Amino acid sequence: MNKEMLAIIKKDIRGITANRRMMISLLVVPIVLTVFLPTVFILTTYLMPTEVAELQKLLTFLPENQQAQNINDALAGLLLNYFLPLFFLIIPVMASSVMAASSFVGEKEKHTLETLLYAPLSLRQIFRAKVFAAFLLSMFVSFLSFSIMLIVLETEVTLTSGSFILPGIQWLFIMLLVSPAISLIAVTLIVRTSARAQSMEDAQQGAVFLLLPILMLLAGQFTGVMLISPLALLGIGAVCCCIAAVLLRQCMGRFTYEMLL
Amino acid sequence: MNAVTLNNLSKIYPDGKKAVDSVTISLEPGEVFGFLGPNGAGKTTTVKLLNGMLSPTDGSCSVFGIEPCKSPEKTHAISGVVTEHAQMYDTLTGLENLIFYGTIFGLSPAESKKRAESLLAQLELSEARDKKLGAYSTGMRQRLSLARALIHNPRLLFLDEPTSGLDPESAQNVHLLIRGLAQEKGITVFLCTHQLRYAQEICTRYGLMSEGRLIASGTLEELRGRIGAGMRVRIRTCPAGTASGILEENIASEEEIPQLVRRLTENGKSIYEVSTQAPSLEDIYFALTAAPETSQKNS
Repeated sequence: MNKEMLAIIKKDIRGITANRRMMISLLVVPIVLTVFLPTVFILTTYLMPTEVAELQKLLTFLPENQQAQNINDALAGLLLNYFLPLFFLIIPVMASSVMAASSFVGEKEKHTLETLLYAPLSLRQIFRAKVFAAFLLSMFVSFLSFSIMLIVLETEVTLTSGSFILPGIQWLFIMLLVSPAISLIAVTLIVRTSARAQSMEDAQQGAVFLLLPILMLLAGQFTGVMLISPLALLGIGAVCCCIAAVLLRQCMGRFTYEMLL
Repeated sequence: MNAVTLNNLSKIYPDGKKAVDSVTISLEPGEVFGFLGPNGAGKTTTVKLLNGMLSPTDGSCSVFGIEPCKSPEKTHAISGVVTEHAQMYDTLTGLENLIFYGTIFGLSPAESKKRAESLLAQLELSEARDKKLGAYSTGMRQRLSLARALIHNPRLLFLDEPTSGLDPESAQNVHLLIRGLAQEKGITVFLCTHQLRYAQEICTRYGLMSEGRLIASGTLEELRGRIGAGMRVRIRTCPAGTASGILEENIASEEEIPQLVRRLTENGKSIYEVSTQAPSLEDIYFALTAAPETSQKNS
């Protein structure tokens, strides 16, 4: 990563953060998923009768160390450590998809792509700078959502049941390995779609069709994986990192200036 | 080493259109080369080929010995490009745009800022430096594009209609700047333009394109020779304000003028004024583009 690429990354990120409306729309869905929904869940469990047999039965399926004495704590723990991590596979991809989709085709539509291509940077370097810009934004939204979620959730649990729930070790693997790796894979593929697209609509359409099945498949698989073992999560994260690295290396190989303009 | 070399360069687009057809040109460093021709003549395609944006179908080209299709980044590092489609970011100010482009051309942010401020002053944009580009007029955008192309002190400038959309005064200033860059800093300029009057003022050599082919190239004198037109001399043998007594004659060269004046004085005429008029670039352009086939054969 050289300073020329950093300048492109900085410019791209600034292009999004300077647009207040765009930033708000980027943050709304993550906040709904990680703050509003958990709040509804916590309040519901607080207000409902605690002696529900079905719920007690459900909790017996959890690993022993997760079976808290208090049903409200157990449900909050279930929410925090088994459901919410799934959102963090989707949030970074969602957050970066607009920026990634507009990375090349957006510049093309504004007639700024040609100027950028006249820079003394290779296509691969420009491609990587675009990928990293969208990736960094996705990570920013992801960590911001995580921080807000944790503060709100812990406050709510403390207020409703007077206890404190600890985030599981899987959060470490999710936030630092799996989520960034999946985000990088998705961003790389979307930026590639953007480079081939003729219009923004074309790129966004491509991004949605490319990502939805992958995300749904991942979300389905990960629910089980998180229950099985954090180590499995570590393994999957490592595999995703490798895929991301290969994609980043190979993705731009066959592109030429002529194809982009 | 030539600044620019085109050797039988051809480009055929995937739709079969032959945009550039076996063009051969070479430019010495420091030349201001006027690349002239109507729309669709192949000028912009040639600029793109010389910057590695397009790959030649046939032939080759090089910029200071670097082949753009093989090492486009190296070509970009030593050249600045202004084209209609190479715009900057509307959401950034003029100064921020220049600093950004300076940085991606390898300057430090401090160097970029210093250079940007100097270019903004030179192009009379200092007052608009902190305005968003979206608020710039067409003329201001063009001047900022020129500043952007110069930000990294290029050895070669490709300018594709750099003064389109400019008022006559701004256009004149830009042309003076281009001439100054060539004369004082030795920058080679590859100028694609329709504005033949300005081209005649600043270019040292010309290439005339028509339908992808180079129909003529050379200095103004050489091009005059190509169309077979000499000079037209006008001699006034009466006081100013008198309609009669004006002699106009075509001559092959200015060597014939003293002889002509001598003949008139020997015949008892008084000479009040002698002026000559050579065919302008515009005259040559129209003469050559009107009959490209003939010209091609002659060349």
